[in-house]
Amino acid sequence: MFHISVQQHPFDAGKEINLLTAQRTDVGAVASFLGLVRDFNERPDVLALTLEHYPGMTEKALQSIAQEATQRWPLLGGRIIHRVGRLEPGDPIVLVLVSSAHRQAAFDACNFIMDFLKTQAPFWKKEHTRSGDYWVSARNSDEKAASRWQLGRSEATHD
Amino acid sequence: MTKFTHIDQNGQAHMVDVSEKPITARTARASASVTMKPETLSMILAGGHAKGDVLATARIAGIQAAKRTPDLIPLCHPLMLSKVSVELQPDHQLPGIRIEATCKLAGQTGVEMEALTAASVAALTLYDMCKAVDKTMLIGDIRVLEKQGGKSGDWTLSADSEIEHKPFVSRSGAQVYVRFFAELREELKQDELVVSLDELQEHNYSLTIAGLKDWLIKHHTELSSVLNRAGLMVAINHQVADAGSPVSGGDEVAFFPPVTGG
Repeated sequence: MFHISVQQHPFDAGKEINLLTAQRTDVGAVASFLGLVRDFNERPDVLALTLEHYPGMTEKALQSIAQEATQRWPLLGGRIIHRVGRLEPGDPIVLVLVSSAHRQAAFDACNFIMDFLKTQAPFWKKEHTRSGDYWVSARNSDEKAASRWQLGRSEATHD
Repeated sequence: MTKFTHIDQNGQAHMVDVSEKPITARTARASASVTMKPETLSMILAGGHAKGDVLATARIAGIQAAKRTPDLIPLCHPLMLSKVSVELQPDHQLPGIRIEATCKLAGQTGVEMEALTAASVAALTLYDMCKAVDKTMLIGDIRVLEKQGGKSGDWTLSADSEIEHKPFVSRSGAQVYVRFFAELREELKQDELVVSLDELQEHNYSLTIAGLKDWLIKHHTELSSVLNRAGLMVAINHQVADAGSPVSGGDEVAFFPPVTGG
């Protein structure tokens, strides 16, 4: 039900939405999250970043996050694309698309998937800046964002 | 200086006359490898492949190919091979399949071309069997590992060069493959090591992530700083695990820093 791809090459968000909705008349809503590489993060002047991942585990981790979302909300489909390798500011890095009959499930599931992707999927960013290279540290705010879903908040909002 | 044997004084290619050479027992061993996506390897090992048993087919292809070597390599003598064996071994570290071909005969010329051909064609057959699911497979490591018999005597790759041939990873013993990612890998300057579970057991370490970690810190002191780091994550066979998770032979255990994707 979810298409998962970990790839080096760029993606076209518009084409991906078309692929998700092609030949379907039951989809009433598609929610999307498109993540881009910023030129500032822990330090200013980010020139590029290199994304490493754990081949084999990454795909499984994304699949199980998608499955969890499918169990929590009445979804009709979805696509998760995450790029790896060297990326520059402005480049698209991640795309999450979720389709459902009504908007709330799609919004919530898309949010949920991103929160768990950020804290569970084995990707690591190394930033290259004018003042040197370093591995990006995990943010507490991401952990917090993921932990709120365990409190049952999602069930309260899904219609 | 050593000369090319297949080129004569006039610079022309020719087949070497071996009529006068004594008949001796000859053996040659050659390797190849096919690196692939972990999912492709899992699929081969699970036997769930649409084209059937991939490894058995590649093995037969390698044996057949060895017998056709003189048809392919212009100046190679036709030989009466007395033995051809092709072994294929999965290697999760690669990830992919390692191939070793051995050819034997009693004759007047060496059999390394036959061993190389067998290993190469076995690799090509693996590619052919799996290309529908993985087009990114990489064929490599095609080389002679060992030669025995003949005028030039015995030769092994490891004795002749600095290159260390990675032997087949033994799957029979109780071992776990430990992998490191991102910052950990860079700091340690290594991405994997193999730990014997027998050794853990002998020294009364528990067969869990906690026991493995204690053993690693004790025996590889350079690991202690990274393995004690806050937020360190661990996975067993691609599933997130914790200190109490049990480890068993053949498991792949990965340690990595908190993830930062998205």
